[in-house]
Amino acid sequence: MIRQIIYKEILENLLSLRFILSLLLAVLLFAAAGFVFTAKYRQESQDYWKDTNENLSSLSEQTKRLCDVALYEQTVYRKPKPLALCTDGFEKYFPNYVRFNIFSMYIPGVKSRGNFDLGRFSDMDLVFIISLILSFIALIFTYDTICGEKEAGTLRLMLATSIHRHKILIGKYVGVMFTLGIPVLLGLLVTLLIVISSRDVVISAGDWLKILTIVLLSFLYLSIFVLLGLFVSSRTAHSANSMVILLLAWVGLVILIPSFGRIISDAAFESPTQAELQRKLTEVGKKIEDDRASGKFGKNADSFGFKVKNPPGTAQMMNAQTEARNQVREFHLNKMIAPLIFGRSFTRLSPTVIYQCASEAIAGIGITRFKSLYQQVKRYQADLKEYVRGKDAEDPESLHLLCAHNQAIKDWGVISKRSVSFDTIPKFQERDLALGQSLKLAIWDIGLLVLFNLVFFAASYVSFLKYDVR
Amino acid sequence: MYDKDKKERKYHILWKIAKKEFLLNLMTFKFAVGTIVCVVLTAVFMPVLVSDYQERLKQYNDAFAANEAELRKVKVYKNITPMIYRPPNVLSVFSEGLEKRLGYSAKIELDNVPELSAVSTGLNPYLSIYPVLDVSLVFKIVMSVLALLVAYDVIAGERERGTLKLVLSGTVARYQVLAGKFLAGLATLVIPLTMAFIVGVLIFEFFPLVDLAGSDWVRIGLMYLASLIFLSAMYNVGLLFSCLAKRSAISLVLGLFIWIVCVVVIPNGSGYLARKIQPLEPEERLESELKLVAENRDRELKEINKNIPPGWSSSTAGGAFNRSYYLVLDKRGLEYWKKSSVLKEPVRIKYADKFLEVKQKHLSNLFKQKYLANNFSRTSPISLFENIMSALAGTDLDRAQYFMDRVRMHRNSVVAYVRSKTADFSSLSYFTRCKEGDWEEGQKILEPAVDATNEAERKRVLDAFYKWRDKKAAETPALNLQDFPQFIYQPSVVRSFSRAIPDLALLTFISVLFFVLSFVAFMRYDVRSD
Repeated sequence: MIRQIIYKEILENLLSLRFILSLLLAVLLFAAAGFVFTAKYRQESQDYWKDTNENLSSLSEQTKRLCDVALYEQTVYRKPKPLALCTDGFEKYFPNYVRFNIFSMYIPGVKSRGNFDLGRFSDMDLVFIISLILSFIALIFTYDTICGEKEAGTLRLMLATSIHRHKILIGKYVGVMFTLGIPVLLGLLVTLLIVISSRDVVISAGDWLKILTIVLLSFLYLSIFVLLGLFVSSRTAHSANSMVILLLAWVGLVILIPSFGRIISDAAFESPTQAELQRKLTEVGKKIEDDRASGKFGKNADSFGFKVKNPPGTAQMMNAQTEARNQVREFHLNKMIAPLIFGRSFTRLSPTVIYQCASEAIAGIGITRFKSLYQQVKRYQADLKEYVRGKDAEDPESLHLLCAHNQAIKDWGVISKRSVSFDTIPKFQERDLALGQSLKLAIWDIGLLVLFNLVFFAASYVSFLKYDVR
Repeated sequence: MYDKDKKERKYHILWKIAKKEFLLNLMTFKFAVGTIVCVVLTAVFMPVLVSDYQERLKQYNDAFAANEAELRKVKVYKNITPMIYRPPNVLSVFSEGLEKRLGYSAKIELDNVPELSAVSTGLNPYLSIYPVLDVSLVFKIVMSVLALLVAYDVIAGERERGTLKLVLSGTVARYQVLAGKFLAGLATLVIPLTMAFIVGVLIFEFFPLVDLAGSDWVRIGLMYLASLIFLSAMYNVGLLFSCLAKRSAISLVLGLFIWIVCVVVIPNGSGYLARKIQPLEPEERLESELKLVAENRDRELKEINKNIPPGWSSSTAGGAFNRSYYLVLDKRGLEYWKKSSVLKEPVRIKYADKFLEVKQKHLSNLFKQKYLANNFSRTSPISLFENIMSALAGTDLDRAQYFMDRVRMHRNSVVAYVRSKTADFSSLSYFTRCKEGDWEEGQKILEPAVDATNEAERKRVLDAFYKWRDKKAAETPALNLQDFPQFIYQPSVVRSFSRAIPDLALLTFISVLFFVLSFVAFMRYDVRSD
């Protein structure tokens, strides 16, 4: 019996105007997203490889002297990902490069075309289309499932037979999900065809799995709205009223709650300014200088301009200084990110934000990706330092005091000046998280999505059981 | 006499239809829910947004006061590098626009002309990921849905119920029916709109620190009018579908699809299209051009340097705006800096304009893209409304450019001021306040240190010198900047309004167009068809 209900629902939906409209809209948007993504990806890849190769070639020029390798400021760029097709994760607002040498780490910056953004236009990726357009379509499909049939008088007939109410509800749910699946899957197919046929984008096996996970997640998300529609539809007597409530609920969940992020984080955190950063950097410099004056680094640990009598002390002081500055910069960076994460957690009241966060985590894009890139660069910096230390130890002429002090290196050779082979230098390679690890990151969000589903399912079930057909 | 009667009757009937429709609307569920939601949302948004504004205002006042205090401490003309802060806009509460995306401050310097892209650096760029939150969000999303919901069944619903046949079988003309329904719809929508505006303005009163100037009231009034036109446009869109569709359900679905396209697809898609048609140059291009200009400048400065005899000594002191100045200089130093300032500063000023030229060329590309995107998005009434609101609130790009224009004018007058005060940089007060003989006085104190035999003796002499230096620095009076040019920033309502006029006209046109289209559709409607 339940199969018959599903079958009837699907057929009825397929023949409706709304289905044709949603199919058209979804396929058009998905196709546009595919074209736009390929063009963007091509451009970004070009820029990325150009910048990265430039960095490596400059690094190879430094190999004549080990100390130059140590002092050379490398720039690591963020690699464009094929999975940005699914979700862009607002990456254009996040830094796309990190500059560092083995001693110092600088605040990551943004280098792009149109760096100075006038905003308002967000990127239309798959997650965006699904979270805004398809959730809306889900409501259009469900607003009259129960009350519409009541108005038409068919619900009475159906309930007069021996079918259980829960079977009707489940039948309707499955039917709508199935109809909704057609535009989603068809659109996805179109996008993927466009993307693959362009040959610019190579999607690896791991990426395919992640795309599949995001698609499953999308259905989990859309199911919330289908259930919400069923719930409201079984609480109201007229489909017009049901539509009003659903529209307002949609506006609240999808548009209003996510918009509160900025103002919440503005209220909770003070944004750090560039001037503050500069002031703190000077402050720590002064503090180290005071430490030197009080003899913390031994006698004569002078830094500039004088003949150095105490190389280990000077090196120690220089390292203390770079370390303190690194800490200040990292603190500043964390202070910039903190309001972001706070605002996002707050706006997780909305399933849209949860869905976006979860797909970003799975695709490895967005804030989490930026944070992990930064950590990876830091690890690489440590590796490179170890490498320099190891090479330096082989040179008997060096004083074996790694410190970022031009004069110290030039005049009294604290770091080896021997040449090194470019091939032996470790190179930076960004690692993607495996699907399992990404899922672990997204587990809370997925749990919340499931919870939303359960709550709305229970609510619609109870409401439908109590529904008065008269 | 008969004619007059007829005319009166005509209006009488129109009025009757409007009244009936209006009263029916008032009793609907959608009206009740829509109105309550609008008012409640405004009541929730406003305090949050106004207190956010108040916080920004406080920050502005603090920064402004700190800057003024620094300005009073300036001792040499070279150190006059004040910051200019943009006062936060009270009406950003209604329409945020670019208010939080563009920076608040610009630095006035001799060798640099501030540019729009440079002022955004003071903000936390990551926060741009959040969508904009302002009161017009309530109008443009909730009210537009409400307009569609009110409109979707005005004709189609009566068709379904069969009452339309009855109405048309009377002596009423069709245009009267449609006009009556339009008036009724508008009257219905005016209620939540007015209530939301009243609630919004009332909440301002709870914040005593925030006051609205007369021009702000004019702006709010204009915003109210614009919202009205917007709502009538959205209502007429719904009306057209209601006239076209046989069943109200279809009319609703069509209306909602158009709505989602207008709200989400067009505003976001137009950015894409514009980026595709008007791509931006890579940042490196700008950087390399700037580098070229900088190289030229440095070469020119080096050339000048060759003609000035070097080799001088000085002692510096910390000054205002975190810049040090020469406390005392020896004779050669005075000579050197006098010559160098007279010759070099005009070159620096000249190159500042060249830098600006390069940057503006790059920026104009970006603006072209932005304007193109804006033009594409004008196909959606919601984007039009957004444009109008931000123009009226003064949070649009035009206002940001106006601010920058003002800052540049101010910079020019500061440069002219410094020039006139220092006789084209030839006066010593441009870089130092020391008098002849000051240097020798300091040297005399320092002299014994050269012959000092032991460390303690040396230290004593040095301490004496430092003491003298500090005293000298404290004694140096600050410059008298009584006639320092004031920064003038007075945005005018007329300018904002004239910016909003094209969009307002277009929105009115859309509204009329859709009404005419629905009229045509309604005229063609065959009563026998259902």
